[in-house]
Amino acid sequence: MASENQDMPDAGGPVQGLTDARARQEEERQDAILVDDEQKIHVLPGSTDTSASFEFLHEDHTLGNALRYIITKNPVVELCAYSIPHPSEPKMHLRIQTFADMEDNNVYDVLRKGLMDLQDLCDVVTENFTTARDKFVQENGST
Amino acid sequence: MDYDIPMDGEDTGPTVTIREASPAAVDFILRHVDLAFANSLRRVIMSEIPTMAIDLVEVKKNTSVLADEFICHRLGLIPLNSKSVDDVLYTRDCDCDQYCENCSVTLSLYARCTSDGVMRVFARDLVPQDPRANEWVGVPVIKDDNPDGALILKLTKGQEVEMKCIAKKGIAKEHAKWAPTAAVGFEYDPWNKLKHLDYWYEESAKDEWPVSRNGEWEDQPQEGEGVALDGQPGPFYVNVETVGGLEPDVIVQQGIKVLQQKLAGVIQELAGGDNQAETNGDGFGPRSPEGPSGGYDQGGYTTPFDQRGGASAWGGGGMTPYGATPYGQNGGNW
Repeated sequence: MASENQDMPDAGGPVQGLTDARARQEEERQDAILVDDEQKIHVLPGSTDTSASFEFLHEDHTLGNALRYIITKNPVVELCAYSIPHPSEPKMHLRIQTFADMEDNNVYDVLRKGLMDLQDLCDVVTENFTTARDKFVQENGST
Repeated sequence: MDYDIPMDGEDTGPTVTIREASPAAVDFILRHVDLAFANSLRRVIMSEIPTMAIDLVEVKKNTSVLADEFICHRLGLIPLNSKSVDDVLYTRDCDCDQYCENCSVTLSLYARCTSDGVMRVFARDLVPQDPRANEWVGVPVIKDDNPDGALILKLTKGQEVEMKCIAKKGIAKEHAKWAPTAAVGFEYDPWNKLKHLDYWYEESAKDEWPVSRNGEWEDQPQEGEGVALDGQPGPFYVNVETVGGLEPDVIVQQGIKVLQQKLAGVIQELAGGDNQAETNGDGFGPRSPEGPSGGYDQGGYTTPFDQRGGASAWGGGGMTPYGATPYGQNGGNW
């Protein structure tokens, strides 16, 4: 928006400093927030179809622990664990191992299923929360 | 889900009981969910719900006793209405150079004291400029009876401030001024039956650590009762208090939505090019974020899989390219 910039006469002097500061600020932001065309998941070396470690970028305990929990619930999963290898790197590692002698034990499918199950869980909680809220409003009047 | 998640022998799914609700806060009990999920919800509410806050300030005139930076910081912390904030784009996703009406709201502040005595400048003196993404977004929150809103600064005779404030959409992970809540109350096991807490005390832990009011909702443990080694945490007593920009129930719903968007983002990437149809078939398309910022379907997250055409990226048979890829190498594979 060139016109937007031009009607700021007072910012004329220090405008270079402002853009530098903005560029710096932008860099800091990118640490906390996913940059669009960055790949979010990587598979770590040494992975097979029944045991793999994934590296999630820009994810933390919020996703890690909930995902670990829901994947552990899958009966084909022998082990699922997560870690944040270093607190100053925005990375989360997730390890999944499945029973080799069971069917549907492909770790990628297990991971996908875990994510979708968590989606379903979110849906159920949203639905129940909305129902409970509507019921509360009905009983106590609109607050 | 095609397998049952055992819930302590009960087959009820997650339940929510609302204990109290007001325009400022909602207090509810979340049952039959795991601590991991409840904590994810708490974390996401605390730090990842988008709201509006003043991010850029152009100080045109400031003859008050306060430094420019000081006032700018205060301006940033003023709660702004964030209803339907989905209509606003993140500046980083917007086509404009610095900011525009699609990714920001401009508020102007002009105050000059001409009389004797002290003039007080309030949040109500911030005037949102049109055009805006919608009628709510970016308007200062004013909850008091006067109605004034938050006090920004004071002026005496002859002092003047003139500022152009640019409010942007953001999340509290980046800066606390974007936090939708001041605090989220979160407690489980008020009687500490699970011994997840080891209370420090001088003489008696019982006397020095009064049980919270949530204790009334659970049975008091018997004297000398052992620790339930197989006990699971829960129910969870949650209290979400808004800063004013969003209604408390909306905050909870938005929190879950943000969590789902996170998952959708990962699923999308996992699906890559080859499973696009399947993913959409499972209904994740519609669940993607609403509004113009909903980037998942608009190529916001591109993956190298797309470029491979129909080839399955996920372990074609027994051949695994993963082992061959040195960790960290920015190769074509992973």
